[in-house]
Amino acid sequence: MDMNTNWSLSSLLALCLLCVPSSSHASCDTVVIRSKHERRVERYQHAWSNLIPHYSKVQYAGGMGLVSLGIGWDYGRNQQWETDMMLGLIPRYSSDNAKLTFTLRECFTPWRFPLSASVHAYPFSCGIYMNTVFNNEFWTTEPDRYPSGYYGFSTRVRTHLFVGQRIKFLIPDRKRVFSNSITCYYELSTCDFYLISAVTNHLRPRDYLRLSFGLKLAVF
Amino acid sequence: MRLKQLKFSICLLLVCLLLQGCDMFEAHPYDAQVRGETGINARSASRIAQQTEGKDTIRFAFISDTQRWYDETKKAVSDINRRQDIDFVIHGGDLSDFGATHELEMQRDILLRLRQPWVALLGNHDCLGTGESVHQRIFGPSNFYFTAGRVLFVCLNTNCMEYDYSEPVPDFGFLEHVITSVPDSIMHTVVAMHVPPFDLEFNNNVARVFQAYLHQLPGLLCCIYGHGHRYAVDDLFNDGILYIQTPCIDKRGYLVFTLTPDGYEHQLVAF
Repeated sequence: MDMNTNWSLSSLLALCLLCVPSSSHASCDTVVIRSKHERRVERYQHAWSNLIPHYSKVQYAGGMGLVSLGIGWDYGRNQQWETDMMLGLIPRYSSDNAKLTFTLRECFTPWRFPLSASVHAYPFSCGIYMNTVFNNEFWTTEPDRYPSGYYGFSTRVRTHLFVGQRIKFLIPDRKRVFSNSITCYYELSTCDFYLISAVTNHLRPRDYLRLSFGLKLAVF
Repeated sequence: MRLKQLKFSICLLLVCLLLQGCDMFEAHPYDAQVRGETGINARSASRIAQQTEGKDTIRFAFISDTQRWYDETKKAVSDINRRQDIDFVIHGGDLSDFGATHELEMQRDILLRLRQPWVALLGNHDCLGTGESVHQRIFGPSNFYFTAGRVLFVCLNTNCMEYDYSEPVPDFGFLEHVITSVPDSIMHTVVAMHVPPFDLEFNNNVARVFQAYLHQLPGLLCCIYGHGHRYAVDDLFNDGILYIQTPCIDKRGYLVFTLTPDGYEHQLVAF
């Protein structure tokens, strides 16, 4: 009896000891098998969802086309960083054909001042963008017919530096259609060509500075 | 209310910016949107013909390679303007360094301060990107000729490497047209070009053919060119026709040619 009790007690204990981890193991197994996949799917979806553009932009002028349309992402603690990708159109003007351009832009907007509950001012932003033209007349490196380093620059890729200001209007909930805010901005920019000309000459600012303005329509 | 005021001031600011800096809105450095004066060579050609009609002695200044040297170009222009004896000015090409639209506009605007009529040739740098189209819009065709007194000036596009056989450069068809249509009143010819024969940029397979064509022009005096950025005088074909190179504008020099019925002389002017 004693033995029996002992046995049953110890077997119960053993069972409990076995059961607890085994039951937890069993539940864990089912959960892990399910959740591992789920978590992977979740992680996968989350990773790709980061790539959903946060906003779209439309810009007038600025060396990336007469009108450019783009998408982008803002990030950082206060959304002070922005990365844009834009497609722009250069009309034909006096050249042989109209041209499509692509721009990659990085912008830093350190300060925000709320003017009211729904209007925020951003007194300073700055950044850099690189533009490339989709057209055979332009080259990244000189074609083979030239000795190497004959011109020593790319006619296709331009690098621009800019400073600007912006103002953001938050759209009230009931008036939202697709965007939750609209930001108006303007930028004063210069490109590598103009910068090197300005440094080596006495030029008027209008000869090496370029204006552009645009709208940023934030989705979320 | 505050929002309305803000919106209003933003609109006002944008309108002001638009009005203030129209030419500061640019689609692209190579957009080829030409603002300001165009068709300069043709207008200058008729002014030169008018102003030198009946003159026996012709004096012209030859500058070249002013690319990205705006300050020096301005100084050259004021130095030429200071003189009273120059009938017209020829620019030997390379007004721009990158072929960018605004470079050509800026150079044009500086050169428009010249009191004398002036023409500009096409340089190899002017061909980059959309530069050639812009140059053509501002100045005219890359091969052209004009007369001053009884002298014919033939200005040729010799930037052969830029075209890679896509267009005839130098254009012998154009030369034939000039040779066959020269009026009888013409006594002498001066040929201006950007790149001289035997340069890397020239189509040297036809260098001697080119010279043979030039010899068919009435009373060929000399050939003038730029591109090499230094003053040089060479009898390239050993046929007595001198090829005279004007320094780039950064070297603070230009050439002044004096043409008389008996011949010509040239002088390197430092400024």
